[in-house]
Parts: sequence; C-alpha cells; structure tokens
Amino acid sequence: MRKQAMALTLFWLTGSAIAAMDIDVLARTCNNCHGVGGVSVGTSMPSIGGLPREYLKSVMKQWKNDERGAATMNRIVKGFSDDEIDALAVYFSKKRWVPVPQSVSAALLAKGKDAISENCEDCHGLTGSDPDEDAPKINGQWAKYMELELEKYRDDGFKMPHRKMKKTARKMKPADVPAAAHYYGAQSK
Amino acid sequence: MHAIDRRGFIKALAAASSVSILNIANAHAAKIKARVVVVGGGFGGATAAKYLRLLDPAIDVTLIEREAVYTSCPLSNEVISGDRAIKTLQVGYKGLTRRGVKVVHDEVTQIDPVKKTVLTASGKSFGYDALVLSPGVDFNYGAVAGLTEQLAQTSLPHAWKAGPQTLLLQKQLAAMPDGGTFIIAVPPGPFRCPPGPYERAAQVALHCMHHGKKKAKVLILDANDSFSKKSLFEQAWKALYGYGEGGMIEWVSGSNDGKVERIDPENLTCYTGFGEHKGDVINIIPPHHAGKIAKNLGLATFKDKWCEVKPESMESTKEKDIYVIGDACIGGELATNNGFPKSAHMAMSQAKVVAANLVAKFNNQPAPQPIYTNTCYSVVAHDWGFSVVHLYRVQNGQWVYIKEGSGISPVTFGSKEKPEPVPRIYRKLEVEYADGWLRNVMADAFA
Repeated sequence: MRKQAMALTLFWLTGSAIAAMDIDVLARTCNNCHGVGGVSVGTSMPSIGGLPREYLKSVMKQWKNDERGAATMNRIVKGFSDDEIDALAVYFSKKRWVPVPQSVSAALLAKGKDAISENCEDCHGLTGSDPDEDAPKINGQWAKYMELELEKYRDDGFKMPHRKMKKTARKMKPADVPAAAHYYGAQSK
Repeated sequence: MHAIDRRGFIKALAAASSVSILNIANAHAAKIKARVVVVGGGFGGATAAKYLRLLDPAIDVTLIEREAVYTSCPLSNEVISGDRAIKTLQVGYKGLTRRGVKVVHDEVTQIDPVKKTVLTASGKSFGYDALVLSPGVDFNYGAVAGLTEQLAQTSLPHAWKAGPQTLLLQKQLAAMPDGGTFIIAVPPGPFRCPPGPYERAAQVALHCMHHGKKKAKVLILDANDSFSKKSLFEQAWKALYGYGEGGMIEWVSGSNDGKVERIDPENLTCYTGFGEHKGDVINIIPPHHAGKIAKNLGLATFKDKWCEVKPESMESTKEKDIYVIGDACIGGELATNNGFPKSAHMAMSQAKVVAANLVAKFNNQPAPQPIYTNTCYSVVAHDWGFSVVHLYRVQNGQWVYIKEGSGISPVTFGSKEKPEPVPRIYRKLEVEYADGWLRNVMADAFA
C-alpha cells in the first residue's frame, strides 16, 4: 500500500516536473510563426501572447475537431493532445499582451471608427483592449491578419464557428472591412 | 576580443606578473558555465546561438560565419520571378550581437574533436564544451559532367544558396525571349528544400505570363520519380500555366529519362541518358551533401553525404559534444520515407532542441522531451500558395513521425467519390501566411 502510494507520488512529482519543462519546449515551436513570447512581427500572423486562455484553448480545440476552418493551423494542432493544447493556452495567456500600433491615415482611422462603432464595439470595445470574455484583445493586433480573418467570416466556402461574428462580418460593407481592421491595428491601449 | 586574443593577452600578462591575473581568469571562469561554438549562421545556427543565450545568459556563445549578411533561401524563388526584392530576404547579425552572441566573421578550417578546438582561416582558435555545426550544404559539381563551380557563378547559376546567383538567374529569366525554354534540372533526393524546384517552375511561369512570354516553356528534368506536394503543384500548374503536353510547364521524371548527366555550357544543352534538351536558361541544381566542414570531420556517415545524429539531442552519432543541425543532418522516420525535410523551419526546430538540451546539461537538469516541427509554404502565384507541415516526437530513443500533426494542404474538398474544388480563399491565405512566416522566422532566428 505504502509502496504504491510512494510510486504514485513519485510519478506525480516527476510527471509534473517534466511537464513544466516540456511545455516551454513545445511553446517554442510556436515562436517560429507567432514570435518570441507570442509577439508576431509578420503582418498576416497574429500575436498570441496575452490572449485569454479560454479563447486560445477554444480556437485550438475547434481546429482540432474541424469545427473551425484554417489554411494551416488545423493540420498543426491535430498532432497535439488536449493536455498539450490546454498547457499551450495557459502558457501564452500568461505572457504580456504587446500591442503593435500601426500607422494609418486620419481618413481611414475615422472611417474605421464609424465602422467599428456600428459593427464591432459592442463586443470588442472601443479600442479592442477590453473585450467580452470570449473575445480576443485586438488593440494593436496586425491589421492585415484581422482583415484576413474578416474575409474568412465573409466567405461562403470557409467554415467559421461564431454565429454572431459571422453575421456581423457578413453585413459589413466591403470597404469597412479594411477600415475596421486598420482602426484596431492602430490602437496602442 | 576573440578567444585566442584573450588567451594570448592573459598569457602575456601572466608572464609579467602572476597572481592578480589568475584571479581575473578565475573570476571570469566562475561566471561562465560553458562555452558553445556555433559554426554557420543560417537559420539553424543563428537560432541555436540566440536560444542558448535566451535560455541561459551564463553560457558563452560564439557564432562563426563567413558572410556579414545572410540571405534567406525560403521565398527566394520570388526574387527570380521579379516579385520580391532580395533585400526583404536579407538580415545581418546585430540582433545576435545584442543578445551577447560573439559573432565572428571567419571561415572554419579545422575542428579538433579531441582537444575540442575550432581553427579558422585567419588563424584564430576557439575552445568549446559543445560545438553546434550548422554548415548547410556543399555542392558536388562533378556529378554533372561539364559543370563547374565557376560556371555556376558566371553562366549556369544553381541559385540553391540565395545571393548573387539568385540575382543572376533573375537576370537571365528577364532576358529570356518569348518562346524560350527555361530548364530546371533536379538532383536525386534528398536535397535542400524538397518543394523548391517545383515552386521555382511556377515562379518562372508566373514571370513569363506577366511579361509577354506566353509561349515560353519551363522544362523540369528530374532525377526523381515523385516530389513534395506533387498533387498540389500539378493542380496549380494545370490551372494557372498549363501543364504537360502543350502547357507551359512540363515535368520529366527520372524513369522517363529525366536525369541530367552532362551539360554543354557553350550550346546550353542538357544531356540525359538518351536524350538532349536545348534551353535558353539552364538552371542545374547539382547534387549536394553536408557542408564540407562536417563531411571532412567524418560526420557524414549516411551514404557519405549526410550527418547522422541522436534523436533526443541532435548530437552526432560519431563525435561526442558535436551537434549537427539543419540541411547537413539526416533524421526523422527514414524507414517510412518520412525523413526530416531540409528546410529552414526544420533547422530552427532542431536548433531549439539542441539549445534546450545543452542548457539542461550545463545546469545538471534532466534533458527535456524534444519535439520537432516543420512548416513550409510554396507560393505559385500572387494568390495561390499551399504548405506542408510535419511533426516528429521521440519515443524509445527513436524519431516518430506523427501523421495526425503532419500533411499537405487539401487538394480537394468534399469526399473521395465526389471531390469539390478547394475555395480560392484557402490558397490566397497561404500566400499571405508565407510572407508572415518569413518575417517571423527571420526575427525568431536573427533578432
């Protein structure tokens, strides 16, 4: 009995010690495309460091279960266990959110502000830094990435899960899509 | 100060007055846990150097690299078509210097695995506790009769190492007349960048379509019978440029006499076993092997070409404390034909495994469980790209290819019986992601 308990304790101890180390190793494979600490420098790739744990987890799980379309990520996450996905979500949610405010013309910014107050502000907030619980921060997120995401929601051939997001994205005027993306991309706070 | 200079400096001072100098040397030694020398400053070497410093600043890291500026091979086919400025692929080593990596621009001439020293052309010597070799590849020009290194630099560029030859090939393509033939000769695999020759064919065709050369021909003479992402390439070639009989792009497989054996550089004619093909631009990619610094050390134990390494650490199976990463090594699940692809992303993944392993070793911690990933995009038109991803884990000391986390972009949607075309947005997204990937890997490795 005692032997068993000791073995269990040992297993638990070593198991968790290795897990703590290995999640760093696993997370480093994400850096190639999402940057060190999840701060991307590629305009089509999102920053992921500091995004809510639930959001990161649900998006990865949706890809794994083919509930959300993707060009690349759905193939990548299918190789990860649910525990690894959970651990990655925790890991990146604990990083600091680093907005990368991008410059934008005054005219586009104004157009974007109109577009977001009509379509996005309710859930994502005025600057994108204080969104609803299930939504990601998007202040200083890459405009190019956000534009591509909106295109996914608007495309009939692309499977996206969030009904409200889909409905709103589809009713936006075409010119409002880049305007809204650039507006949030320009926000520092 | 370089290692040898410092040693010489200390020695000279020690001869003059002993005690105080020894104290300085000891204080110095106490702060540094270990010395790592990295040879080769491509994606693999740069990543190894950076992550060693990132994970443990008490490790002394020296990176030895010939060139002052690195040019990315990934996406360099877009330079050949004229779609991308070569500058967007170039990066220096200041980012690594800022992280405390000692960057030395020199050529390694000799490695002594017993004394654990590295010698360079300018006569410097560097001692190491661990040596990371990321030398890339060297070309075997002699494998194609009539081809020489000098010809590659002046008239028959392989452009399989991005840089001046990429620009030379771009120039030759720009000058090619309508109705001209662009020949790409592919060596027997495994070679650097498995989908590269076929992406190049598409980029050449793209250039021709947009520059009034619709009668041009791109002829791929291949030593192999299949290739990476074949179904995706053939689908795109067909839809965009015409493929096969009467199309712009034609592929001749190895068993169809595609292997180029000889070249006549004067008449720009390629000779295969039985046939001859005259071109206007000839792009012969010579067979290659692990960079000579690794090969000369006897590390290329696989078919006398590639360096075998241990799955858990990337340490050479031949020499202790020498780690070989990037295109020079061979790994993965070879028995099922799922070896490591020779790609930048793969090299970086291997570099991170080495860094984590060495940091654990120098801190007397257990080695972490390694994981190896690859992502590789191919861009075949302004709005058409696709990719392949790979995932490998190590189980019972062996690499295991994880099928569930690997594979190419979908060729079709729908079912096998009733296939449907993949919506174009998917192809467009992967062109955008290719660019995002490039910017991020450049930063992850060099910044």
